[in-house]
Amino acid sequence: MLTITDLHARVAGKDILKGVNLAIRPGEIHAIMGPNGSGKSTLAQVLAGREDYEVTQGSVSFAGLDLLALPAEQRARAGLFLGFQYPVEIPGVNNVYLLKAALNAKRTAAGEPEVDAYEFLTLIRQKMKFMQMNESFLTRGVNEGFSGGEKKRNEVLQMLVLEPKLAILDETDSGLDIDALKVVSAGVNSLRHPERAVLLVTHYQRLLDYIVPDHVHVLSGGRIMRSGDKTLAHELERRGYDWVLESQVA
Amino acid sequence: MSRVLQSAPPPPSAALRSFAAQWQARPADALTPLREQAMQRFLKLGLPTTHDETWRYTNLRSLAARHFVDAPPMARNEIEPHASLSLIGKADRAASLLMVNGYPTMPVADGLINGIEVYSLREVARLDPGTLLRFLEPLPDPDLQRWTLLNTALYVDGLYLKITGRVPMPLVILHVATGDGADNIAYPRVIIEATAGSSATIIEHHVAQGEHTPLSDSNTHITLGRDAQLEHYAVYATGAGATHFDSLNIRQARDSRCKQFTIVLGGGLVRTGIEAQLSEPGASLDSHALLVGYEARHVDCVNVVTHAAPDTRSAQTARAIASDVSRVIFNSKVIVNAGAVHSQSQQSCRGLLLSPSAEIDTRPQLEIHTDEVKAAHGATVGRLDPNMLFYMLSRGLDRATAQSLLVYAFLADVLTGMSVPSARASIENALIAQLPDSQTLRKFR
Repeated sequence: MLTITDLHARVAGKDILKGVNLAIRPGEIHAIMGPNGSGKSTLAQVLAGREDYEVTQGSVSFAGLDLLALPAEQRARAGLFLGFQYPVEIPGVNNVYLLKAALNAKRTAAGEPEVDAYEFLTLIRQKMKFMQMNESFLTRGVNEGFSGGEKKRNEVLQMLVLEPKLAILDETDSGLDIDALKVVSAGVNSLRHPERAVLLVTHYQRLLDYIVPDHVHVLSGGRIMRSGDKTLAHELERRGYDWVLESQVA
Repeated sequence: MSRVLQSAPPPPSAALRSFAAQWQARPADALTPLREQAMQRFLKLGLPTTHDETWRYTNLRSLAARHFVDAPPMARNEIEPHASLSLIGKADRAASLLMVNGYPTMPVADGLINGIEVYSLREVARLDPGTLLRFLEPLPDPDLQRWTLLNTALYVDGLYLKITGRVPMPLVILHVATGDGADNIAYPRVIIEATAGSSATIIEHHVAQGEHTPLSDSNTHITLGRDAQLEHYAVYATGAGATHFDSLNIRQARDSRCKQFTIVLGGGLVRTGIEAQLSEPGASLDSHALLVGYEARHVDCVNVVTHAAPDTRSAQTARAIASDVSRVIFNSKVIVNAGAVHSQSQQSCRGLLLSPSAEIDTRPQLEIHTDEVKAAHGATVGRLDPNMLFYMLSRGLDRATAQSLLVYAFLADVLTGMSVPSARASIENALIAQLPDSQTLRKFR
């Protein structure tokens, strides 16, 4: 579904990704872990199409498309979703408007009719209930005045409504208390499907107790230094990132 | 008849000479001594230049060589009915008054519309000049009020609205500017008196019709008595060729509340100014400005609010947008007089630049002559937030839609304060029409 080959990227004149290789097949959940500054978030943003992040080398194919050739909005419509580490507040743009516009953009691109207003509201209410979100969400601006936990729930809600082929969740667990972590994890798990895939970007192993990955990768210095199954995450938790870096040097 | 110019040297520019000629031709009325003072003062001051503090950004040099003549008064039936002339819907049961080049066309015989007493200024000057003199007082800052001086000297007729009860339905004053030549000038004048305990909503809507749009030098004077409440809108929607100088004087008595909206959607050069006095304790003013510059338009808004009594409150919210090669200026000043303790004032000016060639200048100022006041001000000018834009793109919205939604969101603070739903809807419609991708935006309303 997603094949990243020798990806190099630069942010503000600084090389951050230095040859990332990664393949994700439908139905899989991958976790990318790594110390601060290793390039995890950069990878997520580059995949989503952030323009000020410059790709200097490499290729990415997604669902048969040359991902890097597409602008951000077309990547989204093709079924790629980025759950932001720091979802931005957009006062004055209603949450529901944005979500409806997003869903309709996707449907229009797929040649489907726009969603019926009643049908949409029913869908939203159902997903909101699942995410244990307050009704006031319907009338508020995008992430406006939301707590950190509410913002993350909102990201997952958007993901559930848009049903992406590939969801990239950038530190969705950071800043969540244990109850919120369970709700968010349940949301992600509910999306598990043989035709879909998830890429979790996280600093801590904690999230992976709730969303069990098929593959775990350690990103450091802009490269994937080690890959393994879920036990790699436990080992990292026990031995720290230094262990990977040292064993690499050795 | 006393005539100012016979003893004075001839005015230096064609424009001033033409104003003097208009003055010479005006018949005398009960207000002549006051008008003469105003005319003398105006001629002495001359046209504003960029050396004048509040005219720094607006150059009127091109006016000096023009020879202005009075725009023609026109009968009501000569005005073509036009969709854009209707700002608010029938649902709000609003009444409307038509003024053409400043001349009111009275639609009802008894002078009472929606419970508001409506008089022609010409009639009031004839029957009860004392009433008018109360509202044509000397102005505190002639530099700022220069065009008001000229209006005071030269207006021929206008409207006096007296609100004595609680009026639920809005009243619309439709100002139509329509000329018969290139150098017409009109002097619309409106006086609104909200007596103690009364409340009303008045919408002044400025539009143009026909090939030639007269220069408009308009003034509205608002007085709020004790406990009175007024919501006032000034909407400017003339064409690219129009020049408009408008000023608004507001006088507020004890515990009165005024909510004001200045909405500039059109005009080639539009200069607006509020000069407000919170004269007694408890007076409260909320002024909002929505200034939209596009193409090569020039919008200049200068507000001065004076807290002249203790426990008064003012809040100014301005949102400016400039695209193409337009220029938008918003300057506001709050003065807290000695003794006006426990006053509160807020100024929030935000500008959004949508093109590299557009310009926005904003400067909130505070002048405080007493202790124990709460005064806050802030001004920012920037471009669309790239993080917000990327967030929306990453959800699949196309760029034009995302940009339009952000622009719209930027204006929302002002729009949400409007209490007349149909006026808000029409203003939103007119605004959206100026934004990129307006077609898509309409779906989100």
